[in-house]
Amino acid sequence: MMHFSIPILHSAVTIMTPLLLASMGGLFTELSGMLNIALEGLLLTGAFFSVVFTYFTGSMIAGTLLGIGCTMLLSAILASVTLNLKSNVFITGLAVNLFASGLTVVLSFALFANKGVVVFDNIRPLPLLGTPRLASIPILGDIFIGHSAFVYLSWLLLVICYFVLYRTPFGFRIRATGLHQEALSSLGMRPNAYRFASFLISGFTCGLGGAMLTLNLGAFVPNITAGKGWIALVVIFLGNKKPFGLFIAAFIFGLADAFSNYAQGALNIPSDFILAIPYVFTLLAMIGSSIYAKNKGAIES
Amino acid sequence: MELAVEMLNITKTYPENNLRANDGVDFVLRKGEILCLAGENGAGKTTLMKVLYGLEDHEEGTIKIRGNQENISSPMVANRLGIGMVHQHFMLVEDFTVAQNVLMGIEPRKHRISYDLKKAVTLVNEVIERHHFSIEADMVVRNLTVGQKQQVEIIKMLYRDVDILILDEPTSVLTEQEIESLFSTFRQLAKRGKSLILITHKLREIKAISDRVSVMRNGKMLGTYETDEVDERQISALMMGKSISFFIEHTKKDDESRPVIEGRKITVLRQGQERPLLNGLSFTAYSKEILGFAGVSGNGLGVLEAVLGGFIPTFDGKVLHNGKDITNIGTALLRKQGLAYVPSDRLHIGSSLKATVQENIIVGESGSFKKNGFLDQKRVTKHTNDLLQRYSAKATAQMPIGTLSGGNIQKVILAREIERYRDYIVFSEPTWGLDVASSQFVYEQIASLRDKGAAVILISSNLDEMLTIADRIIILYRGTRVASFSGDEARALSKEEIGEYMLGIRNQGDRGA
Amino acid sequence: MLENKNKKVLPTLREGAGSLLIVLIALSAVIALSLILSKNPGKTLGYFFLGPLQSRYYFGNMLNSAIPLIFGGLGVSLAMQSGNFNLGGEGQIYGGALITTLCTIYFAPLGIVGALLALFAGASTAGALAGFSGFLRMKWNTSELITSFLISNAVLLVVNYLIAGPFLDPSTSLIATRKIPETFRLSALLPPSNLSTALFFALVAVITVHIYLYKTKSGYELRMTGLNSRFAKYGGINTKKFIVLPMFLSGFLYGLGGGFAIYGTYFASIKEFSAGMGWNGLAVALIAKNKPSAVIPAALFFAYIEAGARSAMLHSDVTFEIAAIVQSIVFFLISSEVLLTLFEKKRRPA
Repeated sequence: MMHFSIPILHSAVTIMTPLLLASMGGLFTELSGMLNIALEGLLLTGAFFSVVFTYFTGSMIAGTLLGIGCTMLLSAILASVTLNLKSNVFITGLAVNLFASGLTVVLSFALFANKGVVVFDNIRPLPLLGTPRLASIPILGDIFIGHSAFVYLSWLLLVICYFVLYRTPFGFRIRATGLHQEALSSLGMRPNAYRFASFLISGFTCGLGGAMLTLNLGAFVPNITAGKGWIALVVIFLGNKKPFGLFIAAFIFGLADAFSNYAQGALNIPSDFILAIPYVFTLLAMIGSSIYAKNKGAIES
Repeated sequence: MELAVEMLNITKTYPENNLRANDGVDFVLRKGEILCLAGENGAGKTTLMKVLYGLEDHEEGTIKIRGNQENISSPMVANRLGIGMVHQHFMLVEDFTVAQNVLMGIEPRKHRISYDLKKAVTLVNEVIERHHFSIEADMVVRNLTVGQKQQVEIIKMLYRDVDILILDEPTSVLTEQEIESLFSTFRQLAKRGKSLILITHKLREIKAISDRVSVMRNGKMLGTYETDEVDERQISALMMGKSISFFIEHTKKDDESRPVIEGRKITVLRQGQERPLLNGLSFTAYSKEILGFAGVSGNGLGVLEAVLGGFIPTFDGKVLHNGKDITNIGTALLRKQGLAYVPSDRLHIGSSLKATVQENIIVGESGSFKKNGFLDQKRVTKHTNDLLQRYSAKATAQMPIGTLSGGNIQKVILAREIERYRDYIVFSEPTWGLDVASSQFVYEQIASLRDKGAAVILISSNLDEMLTIADRIIILYRGTRVASFSGDEARALSKEEIGEYMLGIRNQGDRGA
Repeated sequence: MLENKNKKVLPTLREGAGSLLIVLIALSAVIALSLILSKNPGKTLGYFFLGPLQSRYYFGNMLNSAIPLIFGGLGVSLAMQSGNFNLGGEGQIYGGALITTLCTIYFAPLGIVGALLALFAGASTAGALAGFSGFLRMKWNTSELITSFLISNAVLLVVNYLIAGPFLDPSTSLIATRKIPETFRLSALLPPSNLSTALFFALVAVITVHIYLYKTKSGYELRMTGLNSRFAKYGGINTKKFIVLPMFLSGFLYGLGGGFAIYGTYFASIKEFSAGMGWNGLAVALIAKNKPSAVIPAALFFAYIEAGARSAMLHSDVTFEIAAIVQSIVFFLISSEVLLTLFEKKRRPA
């Protein structure tokens, strides 16, 4: 068992990280009462601009920061069209996804005359972090040590995310916006200001998550996100809209992804089936929770 | 005397229905007093207070706060001026604690960024203790009773050092004990120099708590009185007003009248509220008779309407139609059993504003307009035009019903429901917001239905309306029947006397239906 | 009667003005993108705007790519008119197409009956997928928007497996099922383009859905439920039924779109052949404001942008994906209450 499960768990931790990052940002918008289906487009935007700016600046840090900046700009546009022009958030979210998929390819073509995979030779692979001492911890060391900085950064951000949402006035107001916005507006605060901030946070985490996807490869592949933003949305629901729930849910999806590669080869189970399992799992969880809510409501009426 | 609020010549018209909710209203609040703003439903009390709190704009008039003219464009401005409002519907986040709700927007901080949750509890507990409230700051709002939630709303305002406090019907969902403790809080607040406005229509409470009372009717301010100098009867007379005389003939119930709808000990409960919404209500509606249910809103009229319309289930008791049990069978089946019903909420339930007039006309009856499996549009339009003409509604079949005036919308609804009635029909607040001519039209329709043999159930908080057309009146107070009269008996009584039953001052005991 | 008609036309025009503004913004985006990205903007724009109309090939392909958009647009419109969201179009088209392909192959001996059965089976499967989401909402108030999306994602993966696994046709280099027999393929309309007589079926579907929504009792009840479900319930309409039925029909139409794509264009279920069709169908419905009759121009507009971009790509120096940018701008603005009501006179009841 051990001989194959540890590499799978190790790669699950890598795979889950962009999901975790995107879902963290999505959690803020979700809690502020907006279904943010633009995560996919934001993630893709972050992926593209991070690698491109890394290429032009020669610095991964500068590249990532500029990539995050571009993603936040797009999320700011999304927020203002949605909140100020009073558009349906669902439709503007789809627009962002479509826009990002078009823009990245158009720019890739304009800059590199290449619509396919663009490989950047000057980008070195992400350094893997860890000390021999930590790595030698049995099992845990094998699974959790030796990842790129993005992985550890995502854990740090998760703790910050929890802290912000549950331990700062800002977080309380964001949650109040989603739960009962009149509780804010009747006291003279503007719920939309908190929604706007949530969109910006989504842009930030998606930019970072996207950066990890491309910098890991040293290349940009069209549609590299391949639905990861959508999965991040599902992670929010499966994680029960709680920061540490996100971690578990993202891990489940990461594990399914990692295991499917293995199962395909070694066990001859089609990978598509295994990839479908988390969706079915989420569906069942959603049905379960709505049955629970309905029964609870029935007593009240 | 120092004045907290002066509102001069306030006029406000709602564009949706052209209703002039405030018509040149003057209103003055003194510092440190408790003032009750009284009036029947639709008198314009809440609108006036929403204008003061910046939730509604107004076309004419000026507002002065502590002598300075102010433009109160939003609740933010109102808060800054020290004006707070406790709404009838709570503005609370159920999942947060009392302290977190109270301190929303002014949270205590630790190290500048983090929310000092412990200090929040201490701070709010201080206010709670100072004012002797019965809750604790770390309780989660979801687990509180309605009365306790109201306390949270008040604490929210007290914590903000509001010195002009508006409370919209603060006692409507409270028990006697809760009301008593709420009132003692109010008295203490007034003693500390705060000025309070209570929107209410409960005479007993006006007498019990207020220094002065301002009475509104039909969007106009009738006057402000020292509470000591007027008695309940005088206030009641002012609130109810002189009746506009409508001419409706009454018929005596004859021997052919038979029971059509019977209610047997109907009880409706809601969780989180100690008092049942309807408490063992029994009645019988006979054919050829208009049975009226009168009462002040919040005393069970709306709940009775929802039960008869099939929108909410009863907890206990039965509803029978011609002896057949129709309890809790749902609206669709009730309709099949012959329910005809003109709802009080004509804009959200009685009509679909974006749909055309003819689509509104054929709802539930669309099956009878089929030709070869399709809807026969020509026949639908012809039928609609026919009805519009007969009920003299100014509309065409194809226009969205939302573009019609309130009176014409009500005519369309009446036309539809009267066409489909079989042996009984329910009217709820059928003339609310209508002008005199439209009201007379509605009354004539109701009377002619009765004359054709219908059992008419009329639910209305408008006493004039009751006295004008009902053949028998049941008065509800706090979900129970406190009196019933024949129409003639009722008309022989003074309006003030009936008003006393409606307002819970008198109780006939149960005389049986 | 005439007077009524006139009264209807003016508000419609005013409502249309907002949409027109958005189309103009989108077209200016095309011009702006060409000016920025192309070395020869005049040529690019020429091919973009006129290319799709110049040759039979481009014109036919443009019409052909509008067909699944029409089916999808109708499906979404129907669901939205009843107040439901169907976010599972991707899986419903793909799944419907696969079932249609397989059934056609198995039912081939039955001739035309077999073809009809196969189309019906594919569409019903897709309908059941969406209808299940409706059922969940009716029963437990589970968000049909999320469940339809989740189910669709799972279905996409399963269909991928089925195409690449048990039903793979080893005789081609494509990852695809076997092709349907030639006798079942719809005849071409404008060769050498891909356009087939599936176009007529799409038009029939538009008319059918229009008649259903506006001329039948069930369609009337569906719309009333969507416009104001409290009113519908009050009027005695079984509003629960109009959660499940519209979702089923919505999936059914998506499935038909998949089926006709097989019969008219692809002839086999090719791996991921329908990717994006579901989303674009949704876009078309949004632009059409859920009116079946408006689905045709909306689908054509969408297809025209894509065809224009394709033509500009082949003949000039820009890439096809500018279409997505232009479409997304339309998308961004199409639901804006502020823009759409810019020209509407404030409705004040008399």
